[in-house]
Amino acid sequence: MGKKPKRDLTRSEQLARGPMDLTFLMLVCMLLGIGLIMLLSSSSIAAQYDKAAKYTATHYFTNQLIFGMAGLAIMYLASRINYQSYRILSIVAMVAAYVLLVLVFSPIGYGKATTGAQRWIHVGPLGSLQPSEVAKVAVILYFSARLSKRNDGEIKYPKGRLISPLEEIRGLSRKFGFSELIPYILVLGSVAVLMLLEPHVSGTILVFIGAAAVLFASGIKMYWFVGGGAVAAIGMWFVMNTMAHSSARLAVWKDPWTAYYVDGNDKAYQIVQSLMAVGSGGLMGRGFGQSIQKYNYLPEEQNDFIFAIVCEELGLIGASLIILLFILLILRGYWIALHARDRFGSLVTVGIITLLAAQVFLNIAVITNLIPTTGISLPFFSYGGTALIIQLGEMGIILGVSRQIPAPSQG
Amino acid sequence: MKQERPRRESAGKRANRTVFWRTVFLMLVFGIGLFIPLFAQLYRLQIVQHEELLERSTRQQTRDTSVTAARGTIYDRSGNVLAISATVYTVVLSPKDLNEVQDIYRKAAARLKDGETMSYPEPTDERIAASLSEILGIDQAEILKRCEKESQYEILAKGIEGETEKAMQAFITDNHLLNSVRLVPASKRYYPYSDLAAQVIGFVNSEGGAYGLESKYEDVLRGQAGRLVTAKSARGVELPNFFEDYVDSMDGYGLYTTIDSTIQSMVEKELEKRIAMYDVQKGGFCIVMDPNSGAVLAMASSPDYDLNNYSAVLDSLLQQTMEGLEQGTEEYSKALSSARLKQWSNKALNTSYEPGSTFKSIVLAAALEEGVVSMSDTFNCTGSIILDGWEIKCSNRSGHGHQDLAKAVGNSCNPAFIEIGQRLGADKFYDYLEDFGFTEMTGIDLPGEQAPVIKDGGTIWPRSSFNIVQLATASFGQRFQTTPIQLITAVAATINGGYLYTPYVVQSITDSEGSVIQETQPNVVRQVISEDTSAQVARILENVVDGCITGTGLTGKNAYVAGYRIGGKTGSSQTLVKGETIVSFVGFAPADDPQVIILFALDTPNPVEPGSDYCTSGDYISGGSMTAPAVGELLPDILDYLGVERVYQSTEVMDTTVPQLVGGTLPNAEIALNQRHLTFRTVGTGETITAQIPVSGAAVPIGSEVIIYLGEEKPADMVRVPNLSGMSMSAAQATLADLDLYLRPTGANSYSSDTTRVSGQSVQEGVEVERGSVITVQFSDSFVGDNDANALD
Repeated sequence: MGKKPKRDLTRSEQLARGPMDLTFLMLVCMLLGIGLIMLLSSSSIAAQYDKAAKYTATHYFTNQLIFGMAGLAIMYLASRINYQSYRILSIVAMVAAYVLLVLVFSPIGYGKATTGAQRWIHVGPLGSLQPSEVAKVAVILYFSARLSKRNDGEIKYPKGRLISPLEEIRGLSRKFGFSELIPYILVLGSVAVLMLLEPHVSGTILVFIGAAAVLFASGIKMYWFVGGGAVAAIGMWFVMNTMAHSSARLAVWKDPWTAYYVDGNDKAYQIVQSLMAVGSGGLMGRGFGQSIQKYNYLPEEQNDFIFAIVCEELGLIGASLIILLFILLILRGYWIALHARDRFGSLVTVGIITLLAAQVFLNIAVITNLIPTTGISLPFFSYGGTALIIQLGEMGIILGVSRQIPAPSQG
Repeated sequence: MKQERPRRESAGKRANRTVFWRTVFLMLVFGIGLFIPLFAQLYRLQIVQHEELLERSTRQQTRDTSVTAARGTIYDRSGNVLAISATVYTVVLSPKDLNEVQDIYRKAAARLKDGETMSYPEPTDERIAASLSEILGIDQAEILKRCEKESQYEILAKGIEGETEKAMQAFITDNHLLNSVRLVPASKRYYPYSDLAAQVIGFVNSEGGAYGLESKYEDVLRGQAGRLVTAKSARGVELPNFFEDYVDSMDGYGLYTTIDSTIQSMVEKELEKRIAMYDVQKGGFCIVMDPNSGAVLAMASSPDYDLNNYSAVLDSLLQQTMEGLEQGTEEYSKALSSARLKQWSNKALNTSYEPGSTFKSIVLAAALEEGVVSMSDTFNCTGSIILDGWEIKCSNRSGHGHQDLAKAVGNSCNPAFIEIGQRLGADKFYDYLEDFGFTEMTGIDLPGEQAPVIKDGGTIWPRSSFNIVQLATASFGQRFQTTPIQLITAVAATINGGYLYTPYVVQSITDSEGSVIQETQPNVVRQVISEDTSAQVARILENVVDGCITGTGLTGKNAYVAGYRIGGKTGSSQTLVKGETIVSFVGFAPADDPQVIILFALDTPNPVEPGSDYCTSGDYISGGSMTAPAVGELLPDILDYLGVERVYQSTEVMDTTVPQLVGGTLPNAEIALNQRHLTFRTVGTGETITAQIPVSGAAVPIGSEVIIYLGEEKPADMVRVPNLSGMSMSAAQATLADLDLYLRPTGANSYSSDTTRVSGQSVQEGVEVERGSVITVQFSDSFVGDNDANALD
């Protein structure tokens, strides 16, 4: 595939060759680098006790490093692809997501036996993959592609024509913006059903957040969000208070110390250990590599709870700096969305970056017990090869969008 | 169409504007808004709650090991160790960790390539149980059962030390057992002399010193435990790279006691011997004290126990109380705990008893000090006296007749002492009760001293109710009680120049380097009588034993020892239980310069039949017959040991040295032997002396017969010492002479008495000795009528 001379390129192709957003790229690289180093520190002890890590201290780190490098390559490739092609490809991605979500229940899926939830599938040498990761991107792409073509004008019928009652309902539905929501509700609903069957509540929440961000930004009528939000809140409250294991979880959240030390609830162990890790870090932290909580006290210290070790080792200052980097990345992402060449680019970027922001927030909120524990990993930090690759791929898509930002006109 | 176009354009623009503003909104919410609560929460946890959370985490992350301080050593007077602490180990098995170790082993074994082998055999439960069973000597099946438990703390053995500990260490290292089998150090108390001075030393239980010095000086002995704080992982592995905090432990101080283990041992043996001899039912006690300081040289209490196994009841008298009771029943455990309390308690301090006639020495001292009696006073005893309607009998029912003061004391005559008491008067008498310390504790540095109960029905009368009848009984030591330690300190004051000392057991306290932290100075509570009076008392009490004034020994004659001037006073008194008698003797020597005072008592020698005054041994139940000979045996040993030289009186059988005769001629030998008051006989008919028995330089009593061999060989064989027990003086002499052995008599000084018999011999029956050896033979008079137990019947 030889390089075409510039004059032969279409305008769109020319734009796709623009410079990628270096600020965004740098922030991604910095976070990935810091994430890898913190993973080395936090996982080194657990690895020595884990047969899956062959009892080697650097096992998790080496793995993550390889996936990180592969992820960077994929990010680069994704940034090189003219994102306009995702409009069509999003349908493929959606189909692929459905296939994967169904495959979870096939023999290559696993998880039920060990964690009680069928969330993973084996993918040969790559190890494992959570189809929900794919579903998140697919939904964002698919929704963005559809919604970028959205037209909220009223249907005009020729004057004098009789309007059938069906057309009347259609008109009304359209007027209130309901009919355009139907395909999205169907897609989200079906994905949610598949994921809740696993079950994977936190993944479902993230898919909803990504989709909602895209829907919101695209200009869907505000009252749907207010209403939807209200329904979700009531539903959540209902689930929390009626289902036994949820209310137990709520009790742990309200007072983990009492739950663990007084009531002897083992489910509170993890959050109690996490709070001790975070709190014992103080302002300056114990210093890099100096966590004691990682010595078998804090479970999942290389996964969902890695940031607790970060807080213990680097203190409030280090943790704040890392969160600041995340904030800068997120703001820069929205900046790209605001400056994107077209609505599709904007919506895709908004979806991906909102999802990232939500994940960062939810993860840190969990380890600091701001919200009840849910299994949400921290992007670029938590151990998990395929998740890291997909995250970097998503960043590549945003970089791709950034390449097509029209240069500000001279003068 | 023309109108449509701008409308469409504006619709697109409007949509774009919507996307723009909604994105800005999301940017503000997800880019900034969401993170504000995160920062707030991090600030709350890491700054506000930092201390609290750090403390919580530190609590779980650290292992706070207490570094035990070595408990101080207890020494006797000459630095012999009476109690010492050593480190022993507890073997702890952690089945949980063991499973892990086995897991790791199997993993490592699975990774081995062909031809490689593990450097040590697999640590299976079975193999570990077998090895541990062999090293520790516990049942293999039991260990296997423990291995299967889901625990981390199974104690397999305690008190492991020495070779076993080394074997355990090696086993743990060789098999890479890490935390699965651990040796946890602990401290163990050792008592090298086992039961010696058991009640004085006391023992240590899990809570610290429980009895005796161990309890009294707990704070001094215990020291200060140190701490070692280290970080550990949740699996209990130490993390040496993290903080470590060490607080030094301070070892306990050592105690140098006034107890002399040699004297203590003599005393305990004598006590044991007499208890067996007279079938004594309730044990006994003995205190040996330096009368010039109050330092206790020995303090024995029977029944006693083994300090190294303080719960075990070993005394046969106590074992009898539990006989027939089934183990596990309530009666049994009651009997057991009562037996334990009995053996742990120090009778010399915490029992009070009626002192009986031994108390007459106090009355004598008071009367002499007040000048109400003099040596020339005479007392007439008719066998009893009627006072205020009460008849009080004398031990000699037919009466002692006319007697001077020394004789009245020697006879332990009750009517005489009642008269002396009456001369003093109740007030004066009570003053002396107080001054001699009978209304207060002595303040000895041992726990458990019984305080006097000063009230009617208590141990001693209050001054307000001390009337003339009570004065009468008090005059011969009855109807009130004192503790043994009170009595011996008071008697010491009568003969040491009049000084009442505070008795004490700890001479000095030293730190672990041996420097003295605290030294006990003898404490004079008060001077009760003058030195002159005291000397007079000592002389009169000496007369009780050797008859130095009256010419013949009296109630204390069985304590007589040639060469030592022994003074003393006998005592027999009824206990609260009818028919039970405590016989005692308080003796001291040398009488002109007392170095040692001793109180020896036996509680309830077994009478042949209830109410009888004779013991199953045939001896008359009295202090004079039973405890005076004991003191007579003990005192020379103690004085010899203390290096107090014998000084013979002119009338006494004295030792002399056999001169060198071999090689000389008979006439020369005769002169040499005459000079030394020795007699001789010859064997053979030669001119020169070829051999002699005993060899030159041997010490034999004056008057002994030396055998001179003229030209004949002296028999080189050894002879067996015969059993002299129960023989009279002449019979014993003849028996020994037959074997070319010499007799050195000791004990009762009036050997002619019908009831004077051999009660002991320095070399036991059957022991082979050279011809010419001197056997010291103890004589005692089995009938000394000083039993006042029925004086008030």
